[in-house]
Amino acid sequence: MQNTNKYIPFGTDFKEVDADRSGRMDITVAEAGSYEAVFLQKNARLDINVHLTGKGAKCRINVVYLSSGAAENTINCHVYHESPETYSNQDVRGVLAMNGRTVYNGLIRIEKDSQKCEGHQNHRAVLLSKEGSASCTPELEIFADDVQCTHGSAIGALDENEMFYIQSRGIDASEAKKMLIKGFLSDILDGNFEKELNEWMAQNA
Amino acid sequence: MALLEIKNLNVSVGEKEILKDFSCSLESGKVYALLGPNGCGKSTLSGVIAGNPVYTVTSGSILFKGKNLFDMTPSERACAGIFLGFQYPVEINGVSYAAFLKQAINSRLKAKGEKPIDAVQFMKRLKTRALALGISDEMLKRFVNVGFSGGEKKKLETLQMAFLEPDFCILDEMDSGLDVDAMRVVANGVSIMREEHRSFLVISHYDNFLELIKPDVVMIMAGGHIVKTGGMELVQDLKEKGYAEYK
Repeated sequence: MQNTNKYIPFGTDFKEVDADRSGRMDITVAEAGSYEAVFLQKNARLDINVHLTGKGAKCRINVVYLSSGAAENTINCHVYHESPETYSNQDVRGVLAMNGRTVYNGLIRIEKDSQKCEGHQNHRAVLLSKEGSASCTPELEIFADDVQCTHGSAIGALDENEMFYIQSRGIDASEAKKMLIKGFLSDILDGNFEKELNEWMAQNA
Repeated sequence: MALLEIKNLNVSVGEKEILKDFSCSLESGKVYALLGPNGCGKSTLSGVIAGNPVYTVTSGSILFKGKNLFDMTPSERACAGIFLGFQYPVEINGVSYAAFLKQAINSRLKAKGEKPIDAVQFMKRLKTRALALGISDEMLKRFVNVGFSGGEKKKLETLQMAFLEPDFCILDEMDSGLDVDAMRVVANGVSIMREEHRSFLVISHYDNFLELIKPDVVMIMAGGHIVKTGGMELVQDLKEKGYAEYK
């Protein structure tokens, strides 16, 4: 497994889009810099650590995972607010088919002198079968007293009312499912990985 | 042959029996109004016809154009020409109205063995229908029903109905909670779509909506089945006396 170190210098914006990223990543974001990532994980262990070391540094990490059968995803996403006025957002969304399994461990750590920071963590997963499992531990470690933080997780099946509404317009159950999955992931994928998602759904949804 | 023929239908939700020995025969080219006190089974009936899986049919039959509806999935029923206008249209995040309707029309075309509609033709048809109903096509760029007011949702249900051109349209209390303008859009949708080969089943509580719609037949439902059939005079009657005599 490959380890990656990345340094985002003063005032620089860096964005990456990648599939099945694995190995440990350490990203350091300097003052007024920003790091943005979109990862699609199907069978990999993502281990990302972001250090917001300069005032006003930002990161936005969007992860979509698709789990089915033999594949297993682990997503460790740790953000360290080491400077004041830093911002982070982790948005993790997954779809689990058959006996797919995923573990997401999220952390926001805000140091004592990192005042006026903002950190968000959100995990949502859709289970397409009763055998799939997703486990999530969104953690906050906050030592400063003037910060804004949110975290949450929701795991459930596709909504039956939504499924029926779509089908009542003539769209069959399998297409309705795909439509809902695409809709669920659309804002964080932001147009990326359309082909990969379609292929995965054709096999699993 | 009747367009929709329901015979001795019994339907439950969970342990509770809602429709009890329900029968009716609906012909092509007519507008039927269905009235009844809350909880008498009107919405259950519309859900059962459209194939909502929350309802359990314990006995009886529904034939649509001579075919057994219970052999068909909800999407097959829709492709065969059944449309349900929802009392509470469902919000679908991340799916644009245009993409949703395009897939709906293409599913119907596919079921008929026809080619999918091309993008230009699709937008043209959609805009024509929206214009005829006085609906802004700006709304079509947004996600399905997300962030719309109650009135906007019902207008868009009407647009879907006009766009998909079904043969049997059920309007399940689509007029509830609407202001006069939105109510006119829905009623107007029914008026422009009235044709020989199409029927409507309009479920409503409001006489002013029914006066706009002008149903051919008025049916009153109580205790899980139809108890009286007549014309608009029944609506007038109910306005004065309420449902007391049917309880």
